[in-house]
Amino acid sequence: MAFLLTFHMGWLVGSLLLGLAAGWIAVVHRAKGVSKVVSRWLAALALALVAAALTRIVPGRPGYWLDLGLAMFACYLAGCTLGSSLRDWVLSRHAPAA
Amino acid sequence: MHGPFRWSNKWWPGVIPLVILWAIAAWTGTAPLESDLAGESNAALKDTVLDKIGITVAGRDITLSADAFSEDGRRSAVASVQAVPGARLVNDETHLVPEAKPFVWSAERDVVRVTLGGSAPLPASKGRLLEAAHGSLGGVEVADQMNLARGAPARFDSAALLLIDQIGKLKEGKITISDNMVSLSGMARDLGGREAIAAAMKNLPEGFSVAVNEVKAPPYIFQAYKDPVAVTLTLSGYVPDNSVHAAIAGAAERKFFSEKLVDNLKASLGAPSGFAAAVVPALGALSRLSTGTLVVSDREVKLSGDALYDAAANQIRTGLAKDFPQGWQLKADLSVKPPSAPVDATVCQQLFSELLAKGKIRFESGRADLIQDSAGLLDRLIETALRCPAANIEIAGHTDADGDDASNQALSERRAQAVIDYLVKAGLPADRFTAVGYGSAQPVAANDTDEGKAQNRRIEFLVR
Repeated sequence: MAFLLTFHMGWLVGSLLLGLAAGWIAVVHRAKGVSKVVSRWLAALALALVAAALTRIVPGRPGYWLDLGLAMFACYLAGCTLGSSLRDWVLSRHAPAA
Repeated sequence: MHGPFRWSNKWWPGVIPLVILWAIAAWTGTAPLESDLAGESNAALKDTVLDKIGITVAGRDITLSADAFSEDGRRSAVASVQAVPGARLVNDETHLVPEAKPFVWSAERDVVRVTLGGSAPLPASKGRLLEAAHGSLGGVEVADQMNLARGAPARFDSAALLLIDQIGKLKEGKITISDNMVSLSGMARDLGGREAIAAAMKNLPEGFSVAVNEVKAPPYIFQAYKDPVAVTLTLSGYVPDNSVHAAIAGAAERKFFSEKLVDNLKASLGAPSGFAAAVVPALGALSRLSTGTLVVSDREVKLSGDALYDAAANQIRTGLAKDFPQGWQLKADLSVKPPSAPVDATVCQQLFSELLAKGKIRFESGRADLIQDSAGLLDRLIETALRCPAANIEIAGHTDADGDDASNQALSERRAQAVIDYLVKAGLPADRFTAVGYGSAQPVAANDTDEGKAQNRRIEFLVR
């Protein structure tokens, strides 16, 4: 993993920033959210992919792409979490009474 | 949901650009990543001993194919590739090189090249052997047909290097190591090459031994030519060493009483055993010919030429083979010189005197036994006697003044008779000769010096 981090630092930072932006927007976004059932399925899918990556059952290039995708996705999620928290904190400071 | 995860159901829109980003990252990053891993893997294998290394990288999975020379080497090679940072899986397609049983290595020399074949234990030793072959053979082409195999005997490299040195001494031939037995065959380049190779085989590393050594040497040639026109005896070819050289030259001086000796002999190793013991009597036989050539090739003696009379030809044919050491062969191609024109008694006397002035009939010291060295001179005397068949000849024996008169008298008589016996054996009628002994009564020089005594010890032929 350390190797992936250093080799793809740029892409991972990019994913993190993308996540930050998505998380920032999500707080005030009026679009329809993903339903609970769908998000559970998505979580299950994500877990399955992580399991596939950890057990290294996908060979060759697809295996590498899976690792890369999951690493970028993890950075994205971290960005989202950070972005939403920041936005939430900023909003709560401006409208404490609401 | 609490905290930031309250909003997680609205994080999905960013996934679309993320997927695009991922696709671009995968598109652009895969090839550099693979080449980086391939480079790292090659570097990791730099110090391992492997042959036919093949590294293919798919994503982060490395496939290593190679021939290893030991199980440990194979495992450590796989482990070093596994330790390459970034490697995810290592597909181990390494094999142990086959074990050769028996482990055979060979070096073969023909007219144009040296071919190294069979098995070598490691790429490094293969390289060393090739380098040594190039080094010790000068400009000769070296062809490499060596495979790599396990199972080489201990100290294989030093044995093979020693043998590569020997292949340079062969004109053509083959040297083979089979496990720890060495076989050699072929023809040595120079005289003495066979002996040099046999000597080098004593330096084979411990554990190795020579199974077969069939290296042949070029024929060991010795030649002598008796030229009646130039009155020379030309010796050429080889002798084993300086002492044999001196012995042969000395024998030639004694046996060829009138010829001048032209000595072109060279010393060289590789003489067949019994060389001097065969060559000296063969020179004696040559001395009895009017003209002739002696060629000694290894253990074969070829004598050709003209004997002076019939009986001499027969004596030489039957007598010489008996004088040879065991294993030596005689090929005599002798004819008899046509008899010279008859002359009258006076000329005969003159011819006898001329011959006896050039050479002396010699006897064993104090005895009446003729020495072999005198055979050439005796044949000339016989040939001369045959030219004047009507003449009766007195054979006179003389001694020096040493010892008492009675015994000198007896010795001179016995010596004169011994000469007559020899002449009769050669086919001359006994009634033409009378043996007379004069003891020391008719000296031709003073008896006070060795030289004078030597002159007084003589046989004279007097035509009556």
